[in-house]
Amino acid sequence: MITTRNYTGKMKINILLFSFLFMWIMPGQAQDAQTILDKVDKNMVSKTEITESEMVIRGKRNVQTIGSKSYTEGNKKSFTEYLYPERERGTKMLKLEDRLWIYSPSTDRTIQLSGHMLRQSVMGSDLSYEDMMEDRKLKDIYDAIIVGEETIDERKTWILELTASVEDVSYYKRKIWVDQERFIPLKEELFAKSGQLLKKTTLSDISQIDGRWYPKKINFKDVLKSGNGTDFIIKKIQFNPTIPAYIFTKASLKK
Amino acid sequence: MKLSFQLAFRNLMGAGLRTWLNVGILTFTFLVILFYNGLLDGWNLQAKRDAINWEFGYGQFQHKNYDPYNPFSLQDAHGVFNIRNTSGLIPLLMRPASIFPNGRMLSVTLKGLPKNQQLLKIPVDQLNEQVGAIPVAIGKRMAKTAKLSLGDEISLRWRDKNGTFDAANVKVDAIFNTTINTVDQGQIWMRLADLWRITGMNNEATLMIADQPMPDTSYKDWNYVNQEKLLQNINDVIEVERASARVIYFILLAIALLAIFDTQVLSVFRRQKEIGTYIALGMTKSDVIGLFTLEGSMYSLFSMLLGTLIGLPLFGYLSQKGISFGAFTADLGIGMGDRIYPSFSPSLLISSALIIIISATIVSFIPARKIVTMNPIDALRGKLQ
Amino acid sequence: MIKFLFKGIIRDKSRSILPIVVIALGVSLTIVLSGFLSGAMTDMVDQNARFETGHVKIMSRAYAENKEQLPNDLALLGVDSLVSYLKSNYPDLQWVERIRFGGLLDAPDSEGESKGQGPAAGIAINLLDASSGEVERMNIEKAIVSGALPDEANEALIGDEFAKKLKLNIGDEVTYFGTTMNGSMTFQNFTISGTVRFGMAAMDKGAILLDISAARQMLDMQNGVGEILGFFHNGVYNDKAALALENSFNDQLKSNPDEYAPQMFTLRSQNNLGDLLDYANSMSAIFVMIFVGAMSVVLWNTGLIGGLRRYQEFGIRLALGESKGKIYRSLVIEATLIGVIGSLIGTGIGLVGAFYLQNYGINIAGMVDNSSMMMPTVMRAKVTPNLYFIGFIPGVFAMVFGNMLSGIGIYKRETASLFKELEV
Repeated sequence: MITTRNYTGKMKINILLFSFLFMWIMPGQAQDAQTILDKVDKNMVSKTEITESEMVIRGKRNVQTIGSKSYTEGNKKSFTEYLYPERERGTKMLKLEDRLWIYSPSTDRTIQLSGHMLRQSVMGSDLSYEDMMEDRKLKDIYDAIIVGEETIDERKTWILELTASVEDVSYYKRKIWVDQERFIPLKEELFAKSGQLLKKTTLSDISQIDGRWYPKKINFKDVLKSGNGTDFIIKKIQFNPTIPAYIFTKASLKK
Repeated sequence: MKLSFQLAFRNLMGAGLRTWLNVGILTFTFLVILFYNGLLDGWNLQAKRDAINWEFGYGQFQHKNYDPYNPFSLQDAHGVFNIRNTSGLIPLLMRPASIFPNGRMLSVTLKGLPKNQQLLKIPVDQLNEQVGAIPVAIGKRMAKTAKLSLGDEISLRWRDKNGTFDAANVKVDAIFNTTINTVDQGQIWMRLADLWRITGMNNEATLMIADQPMPDTSYKDWNYVNQEKLLQNINDVIEVERASARVIYFILLAIALLAIFDTQVLSVFRRQKEIGTYIALGMTKSDVIGLFTLEGSMYSLFSMLLGTLIGLPLFGYLSQKGISFGAFTADLGIGMGDRIYPSFSPSLLISSALIIIISATIVSFIPARKIVTMNPIDALRGKLQ
Repeated sequence: MIKFLFKGIIRDKSRSILPIVVIALGVSLTIVLSGFLSGAMTDMVDQNARFETGHVKIMSRAYAENKEQLPNDLALLGVDSLVSYLKSNYPDLQWVERIRFGGLLDAPDSEGESKGQGPAAGIAINLLDASSGEVERMNIEKAIVSGALPDEANEALIGDEFAKKLKLNIGDEVTYFGTTMNGSMTFQNFTISGTVRFGMAAMDKGAILLDISAARQMLDMQNGVGEILGFFHNGVYNDKAALALENSFNDQLKSNPDEYAPQMFTLRSQNNLGDLLDYANSMSAIFVMIFVGAMSVVLWNTGLIGGLRRYQEFGIRLALGESKGKIYRSLVIEATLIGVIGSLIGTGIGLVGAFYLQNYGINIAGMVDNSSMMMPTVMRAKVTPNLYFIGFIPGVFAMVFGNMLSGIGIYKRETASLFKELEV
């Protein structure tokens, strides 16, 4: 039976997951928590970044690896170009504040997702377009406190709990486990208003790049879905490079 | 006249087996026409009744953004309504949500209906306050698709009015059986109060369902869609079915009448001696034609009698017990129940009977007219003409 | 003796032509109408078969489990070899591949910016190759409201109301945006070659019909397919054969633990069509009974007339000394011969007619005030195996029975009164 209601195409909007990375700028309100987060920011955030990365999507039947190169400036602007496999090559995505465009070379079309479309879950995946549109700083939308300590893989961590301080956030509560020595988050959990765990992020392969600690592998997992989640692997990262302004224009999508 | 009847009756009885074959065929035809029409009427009535009872009510105010064929429209299709001005209207709020049977995401529409509403048959009144999971009602097909049974709990994820993700377990507290696919497949029903609470959309609705017909009006963000329009789909399907049914019983009737016609031709041909005798005894030719016509139409009278004998108990039984078609719902946007209860209205019975009697009389009369051209003397001698 | 009678039948036109014509007509009428009504009764089942279930359908086990969700990530792979296996092992059926999918359609304005967007329900079938029979099967040509069938893989048909909503005209380009079977984003441009209306609101407001080659490319389903549908070549669902097929096919894969292994489903086991099918079959059995009954009366009467017409001849033959038994036997054998000849001719003509109606049908759209095309408005016959022999029941038995009855009169005749009767 054909009904659009059944329509649940399953798209893991690959690189959209990447946006989670941009959410680390967040001095909390509790002084201790804020200090910790500030230090995390120093490691994780830079004014601009150019990243070459790989996503490993584990479908039920096969594993797909997708390579991309991203340019970001703050958390308002980002531009991503897919490099491989062949099917994905040349697909580009531009985010400017609350607008999102996707360009596909095969059709030579730029499609803007807007209005209610942005609130939809992306093709039935657990991510909404809105997830990647979030461009507010965490400190503006969450209150953070330290709720405990825990040892993960022989590393001592603080557990930070972030509770939404404004109404229109996607996730009401977050829990972040921060390495006490290197100030790197090792784990993050996202919760629904009701307290139910929705998503889990695990960061690993932490190494020093340009003098800062950085996780080179991040695993995202929607706990409601089966499977092992999606891996995000940093191949190359440049902190604070100069990115020409034209990159963040619609014209660059078609180049 | 009485004599004609007696004669016709005796002649038919005398013909024995052939009479009964003719009568049998006509009876069958009569019963099939009745049955088929009754079935369609029953289906029509039932489909409409079910659509009204489960989905449409007596008309709906739809929020201006609501498009039943675009699930994306649900996001914005809601508005605050004024309780005081909307007495007699049942609010129904729809929100998109997801569940995760077997770890696969399944998009669903979350629907909230007031617990105390009596208009729709969705069993929200069976959903009782409980600790923990939110009680929900789902249809049988949905239960099958999502692999849920009574008492099962499943994670439901939705967004509140601000777009914040929220999730909770819902418990299947009622599974209902309906012919209306659109309130079943992909739908999860809960009490409106629960849906308002979990989404923060107090006093909002997507539809306002009327418990009695209303004049066609629009009110601010709400457009009234009357019952007739909501039921259009069902009318269309039944219309097509009726047309094809007409073709079917036209053919059936034609072939049954052909048998009578042929029998009449034979009678006139074979019973010339008899015809001659009638005329010799003082009957006019038109009397004889009348007699033969009466004989022919008597087949239809017999078959009415026989049809009543068979049909009364049979159809009585069927309209009580219904006929099973399984849980088939064709891709028609129209419900077909597990059982269809044929409906035999007096007008259906009378019109079908009249059609049979009149057409049988006509086909009996046509061959009998030949009698006029007969030479009574030759006829009396039994000479074939 | 038979040879002699046969000569008699051939030479005496009044003995042969008229009864044979009547029998042939009656028999062919019975067959055509029986076939037609069986077809009409099963139209709803047939409609389902054409659009959804096929006479049999093959899906992967995992796909079948979740088929309401159009789970193309669970689709069948290695389809080429499966289809060629099916074609060589089950040649009684035509095997066609279909993919159903969801996604978004985005219509660009002259600047290439989106002017409209909407969720699409896609069906990919073999639109370009007429030999697949898909266009005819889904009655697409009749459903086209404007424009024409696609000539190339980059053309598509979309629902009429959908086109209006997106403000699309014939020849406009539209972009499909969705996910491949592996979950990646995918885009594809299509030129609208025409708009369709099936009368099913969900389709008219959101359908896009593509050629399967385009869908495979777009959804990254090379050598993959959501559903393989099998249709019996004669277009008629044969329950017994389908069940046997289902058993034999599934038995071979019983021990295969792969959750993506193909599994076959008969029409009966899908969409709860079983009961409807049973109902349709018993209704059409009743119709056939009525026809055979009515035709038997007609031909019995013909037999009687035949017997009566020859009243004089029998009188002469009796007068010449032929025995009553011999005359009676010759009458019955003659009737049998005429019956068989008439039935053969009638069955031939009837089958031609039934096949014609099976292929072309009768369009009742004119009888429907509000032709919504919701359902097939073309009523078609259905040629079932029983059509090949039912004609003989009225054709031979009724004819012979009629002659036997009229022939009884032979025994009642007295030689003494023969000459008086004959008026010689």
